[in-house]
Amino acid sequence: MDRRSFVKAAGVAGIAGLAGCTGGPSEGSQETTATTTESSGGEETTAAEQTTEESGPSAYVGMVYALGGLGDKSFNDAAKRGIEEATSEFGVEYDEAQPSAAEEFPQFQRRFAQSSNPDYDLVSCIGYAQKSALAETAPNFPEQNFMIVDDTVDEDNVASYLFREEQGSFQVGYLAGLLTTQEFSAGSGSTTPDSKNVGFVGGVDAPLIRKFQAGFEAGVAHADEEITVDAAYAGSFSDSAKGKEIATSMYDNGADIVYHAAGGTGLGVFQAAKEQGKFAIGVDSDQSQTEPNYSDVILASMVKRVESAVYTSVENVVNDEFNGGTTTTLGLEEDGVAAVYGAELGSEIPQDVKDSLSESREAIIAGDIEIPTTTE
Amino acid sequence: MSTTTIDRLRDTELSYRATLAGGALSVFLLIALLGLAFPSSIWGNFLAILTSRSTLSSALRLSVPITFAALGGIFSEKAGVVNIGLEGLLIISAFTAVITTAVVGPEMTVVGLPAIWIGFFAGILSSVLFSALFAVVCIRFKADQIIAGLAVWLIALGLAPFAATVYYGGVNTDNLGTTLGTWTIPVLSDIPFFGAFFDADPAVYMMLVAVPASWYVLNRTAFGRHVRASGENPKALDTVGVDVSRVRYAGVLLSGFLAGIGGSALSLGLGQFVGNNQTMVNGKGFIAIVAYLFGNYNPIGAFGASFLFAGLEAAQIRLQQVPGYAIPDSLIQTIPYVTVLVILALVGRTRIPEAAGEHYDTGDDNR
Repeated sequence: MDRRSFVKAAGVAGIAGLAGCTGGPSEGSQETTATTTESSGGEETTAAEQTTEESGPSAYVGMVYALGGLGDKSFNDAAKRGIEEATSEFGVEYDEAQPSAAEEFPQFQRRFAQSSNPDYDLVSCIGYAQKSALAETAPNFPEQNFMIVDDTVDEDNVASYLFREEQGSFQVGYLAGLLTTQEFSAGSGSTTPDSKNVGFVGGVDAPLIRKFQAGFEAGVAHADEEITVDAAYAGSFSDSAKGKEIATSMYDNGADIVYHAAGGTGLGVFQAAKEQGKFAIGVDSDQSQTEPNYSDVILASMVKRVESAVYTSVENVVNDEFNGGTTTTLGLEEDGVAAVYGAELGSEIPQDVKDSLSESREAIIAGDIEIPTTTE
Repeated sequence: MSTTTIDRLRDTELSYRATLAGGALSVFLLIALLGLAFPSSIWGNFLAILTSRSTLSSALRLSVPITFAALGGIFSEKAGVVNIGLEGLLIISAFTAVITTAVVGPEMTVVGLPAIWIGFFAGILSSVLFSALFAVVCIRFKADQIIAGLAVWLIALGLAPFAATVYYGGVNTDNLGTTLGTWTIPVLSDIPFFGAFFDADPAVYMMLVAVPASWYVLNRTAFGRHVRASGENPKALDTVGVDVSRVRYAGVLLSGFLAGIGGSALSLGLGQFVGNNQTMVNGKGFIAIVAYLFGNYNPIGAFGASFLFAGLEAAQIRLQQVPGYAIPDSLIQTIPYVTVLVILALVGRTRIPEAAGEHYDTGDDNR
């Protein structure tokens, strides 16, 4: 091989390698890069504002999003809604980071914590995957306030926010249990009253997702002890083809309604419901609105208001009431979770079913119904 | 190579296939026997799952992207270029298929062709273009095939969600509201169990055609002989006056074409591209590599392996729903990789083409 071709080959290999690096270890690192420039741009503008304006924003917030990034129409977008609401309400400013791999959580957490221009008053860590990273970062920055959603970190400078997913899941489970035993048809779906099973599709088999399943099963049993719940896990939050196959097998097996807690995998559940003329229940946000093409099969969604956790934590910081070291649990009572009827099908759900759901909601809030958080 | 060596090779190959087929059959018979003997045990449930039509059609659908990527991998590697970028080709075609359909407008029809099929072909085209880039880098510029293949995967893995973010503001595309749908052949689809073959996605039919067609092209045509020679002994091919580079380009482009069908079928089967984490392709391209190694570079063997992996997956998601017998799905997901380790290390029947991964230099300085 002559020298020229060697140089050429080395050059190409180098470019390919570089491209590989920018391609990122998992999903688009370009996003991260883009955000980094964006947030550094943000820092510049805030610095400029500080010099011109005497009174700066009431607080600076650093947002570290969960994997999946903004635009997931679910978890991260909900967190962003929360911070935007806080921005317009309290005049805070925020910068955001979208990690593309779990290794980047501590980096971004530290970057916000170390920064002195601006000096962040709160670093919001979205998602349980950040727990171990935050447990290491938080003790190193005792003066910095942190908050974490979906898990607890036992440090004085961390406010933890948990949701009672089992309560919301109980409500949609109760709804599924009530509807599957009666003749119900709306949109593109219908139920057969003699079927005695409903389905649950989980993303990854983790304690958090088990909580959804446990609540759902309890809710179904509350409607009718004899209804069985077919449950299966896809092992991924993005394998929609597998989600579709799992849901199809459940519908083939006689299930009328399938509830998913599986992120992108759940999109396959909706597709299966559509093809089979059955129903599905969404999760995290009102999916009959975020996935309008499926609104004719989405009966309801178990909404988890991540925005209210973010909003509340910012509100606390602005009011100098940061509740570090404590855990705030948001359930049905705090409206942190709720069963929200589908935008298109909600009006077709019989009133007596809705009344039963309101009753069970009251009973859960009053503590009359015990809901397990784990499956046995 | 004397005739006796060829005969011996063929005999061992045949006995290997017989062992595999016999093994699979005896496992099934064992399950059937246990299932019939103890109908209420796990074996009974397992038998019911294996013999249900729903499992069969599930397995067929799940094997589509794996099989197409595996067929592509065979053509490329048989020609002497190791293409580990199959995963990337699946990702890029899955994404392009959806976004093209969305841009054309899901309801539109252009010159008698529904938009979704335009998207389907655009997905294939994007995969072919991507593999052309890979081919130029590997063949013209003699880059390391493994590194270039990894680059193809990583670029696609970053590019598709990034482009989705630019166009849709999120890593997932919006739903098209339309899919490739199902083609049902009347009468034949009423056959119990095997009717699943006649009531399936268009891509399943394509797969059932592509597998024997690939076998025929590879083993019974002049082009197929050139491809195999290019991977086994490029010098000999060069000596008889066939341009080795051209054959290799054809092999790699063909791999892009086939993987593109798999990727387009995957996303258009759902009408949406999911781009978080490992995207909706989620390792299917790597399982495809495992599948064609398991199938010993034989298109039919590769299909068998893909179908086996997909079938296990289809059975596994059903078995999970039987209360009490949950097999952790992460364990099932390791099966393809454990299989390939066993096959490569213990059985040792997979014969990698002699010159795969090596550059071929014609020796003339005409550049």
